[in-house]
Amino acid sequence: MTTKKKRSSNTQNDRWVAIAADSAVEASKAGDSGPVFVSLRNPATDAASLYLFGSGDSQLYEVKAFNEDYHSWFVGQAVQRDGRLLYITPMDPLFLLLPYLMKAGKEGKFQPVQQVVMDEDYPACTRLLSCSQIQASLHHVAEEKEVGSQKFHRYSQEKTMEWLKKKVDKTARALKKSNISVGGGVKSMTYIRAKQESDAGEEDYLRYAHGLISDYISDDLSRELLKALGLPEISSPKELEPPSKKRKMSDRPVEAGEDYTKFNSADFARKPPKKMTAAQKSLAKVDKSGMKTMSAFFSPKVKTEKN
Amino acid sequence: MDLGDFEANNSVSCRLSSAIPDVCKTEDCCLGIDEAGRGPVLGPMVYGICYCPVSRKDDLKDLKVADSKTLTEAERENLFHKLDEAKSFVGWALQILSPNTISNSMLQRAKYNLNALSHDAAIGLVQYALDSGVQLKEVYVDTVGPAEKYQEKLSQRFPGVEVTVRPKADSLFPIVSAASICAKVARDHAVKSWKFVEDLGDVDSDYGSGYPNDPKTKSWLLKYLDPVFGYPQFVRFSWSTAQSLLDSKAVPVHWDDDEEDGEKAAARMNCASMLSYFSRGKAQSAAREPHRFFTERRLQNLGTL
Repeated sequence: MTTKKKRSSNTQNDRWVAIAADSAVEASKAGDSGPVFVSLRNPATDAASLYLFGSGDSQLYEVKAFNEDYHSWFVGQAVQRDGRLLYITPMDPLFLLLPYLMKAGKEGKFQPVQQVVMDEDYPACTRLLSCSQIQASLHHVAEEKEVGSQKFHRYSQEKTMEWLKKKVDKTARALKKSNISVGGGVKSMTYIRAKQESDAGEEDYLRYAHGLISDYISDDLSRELLKALGLPEISSPKELEPPSKKRKMSDRPVEAGEDYTKFNSADFARKPPKKMTAAQKSLAKVDKSGMKTMSAFFSPKVKTEKN
Repeated sequence: MDLGDFEANNSVSCRLSSAIPDVCKTEDCCLGIDEAGRGPVLGPMVYGICYCPVSRKDDLKDLKVADSKTLTEAERENLFHKLDEAKSFVGWALQILSPNTISNSMLQRAKYNLNALSHDAAIGLVQYALDSGVQLKEVYVDTVGPAEKYQEKLSQRFPGVEVTVRPKADSLFPIVSAASICAKVARDHAVKSWKFVEDLGDVDSDYGSGYPNDPKTKSWLLKYLDPVFGYPQFVRFSWSTAQSLLDSKAVPVHWDDDEEDGEKAAARMNCASMLSYFSRGKAQSAAREPHRFFTERRLQNLGTL
């Protein structure tokens, strides 16, 4: 009925629909830079991700987008093709510092953090150090030494694990409180189970929380954390795929994998084609009395006897 | 004819009816069904029924009701007034299906075609007459689609009523002619004094007959095409005339029940295409999936704005 519609390439748009805490968007003091979007190294993927610094770089926020096909916005008197909804939510800046601390930690020296947190690709990373939480929370993941008025830090794996375990516990508690389904088999959050999952045990919550936290740390740390939590590793999702159909070599006589005899039985009747077009339907209704069948034209002629 | 009820909200379907004559509740009655405005791309489709006692059928003939198509607009108006004056034995009822109702029915996910919509409007009106206490014995209908099937459908739906479905019933049975006059008059009024819910300023009301082949209608459709919204509710979006204009002139809009095929569709449907099975194993990308908390909620990290 309709011709195929072409979706034009995504044009640059200059506005977004976002949900953010008041604290994220307000400009606090005069002279402050105001909130600003920055691109930083994502600790889990090592690729660029978008973050937001609150006014004066005091607080870090991560930016995630709700993105589903076939959505657009009506904003005031305009239409916005990009139907995404951005969530700007507070985030612990320590997650972003971890990769830098870990890298420097390999040298085994105490260093001032200013010296450690540097990145050619993401120069904005130094701003993380202005976040108000950072100075107070560095001791969760690093050993501290104070010489004179200067502080020196060295990454500590044990401390980090303790810190991450606390994060997992907190997350698990939050999951329970918000009634989030953590059991397997739930595909959609809009699908509501009639029965509350009473069978979701402590381990399910822990594993789910671990998964969530793992989205903010490197693969290696994630595996370490799993061990530290005492959770056995589960098989990778790849193995959930059906096994390959390839037949294994064996000495035993080969048998047919499928039973083809069922096609010979009487109850294997050919089903009529399910859908007919309007033209076929009207053809099917045609009065066929007095018509020869198609095959009659090909069979040898039967001599009709004249009486 | 007072169309006030419909004009109050012309986005939905509306029923108008006369008072039920007392004789119709006691005597056996016949009823005619006809429609007006099936083909046009503009305005509502109106279903009408007219009923009277079987014994008074001939009185209808005296009113000289005839197929509405053979009459001028003034003659139709005149006849409708006569019918309305004969309220001692003639009753009528109308179902006005707004163009918006027609568009929405035909374009919704589970398609509801015009024939089904018509049949249901007719059935609804007959049921209304029965519910109001009209002693129905005979029903005459101008056909929509194959007459035999329609007759069977109606007979089954209303056992105890003799149903006659005939093409051109409006010229064969005076009671159907009467129904066709009611329907046509209502449609004319509705189209002529259409109140646009949209803010279009001074609307050019010179839209011609509303039929797709009318050049005036076509140029009106071109004039009032909005690139984002398409048309006012006065237009039946489901008509191919409207649709082909939208396809060529308006901004493309994608719905999740649009039919697409091939690789792109597979990607959209989030299922693996056939081709991907042949390259499996080679390109197992190292990138790990975000946690299902995020994927289930369709939340993604952003690279850039």
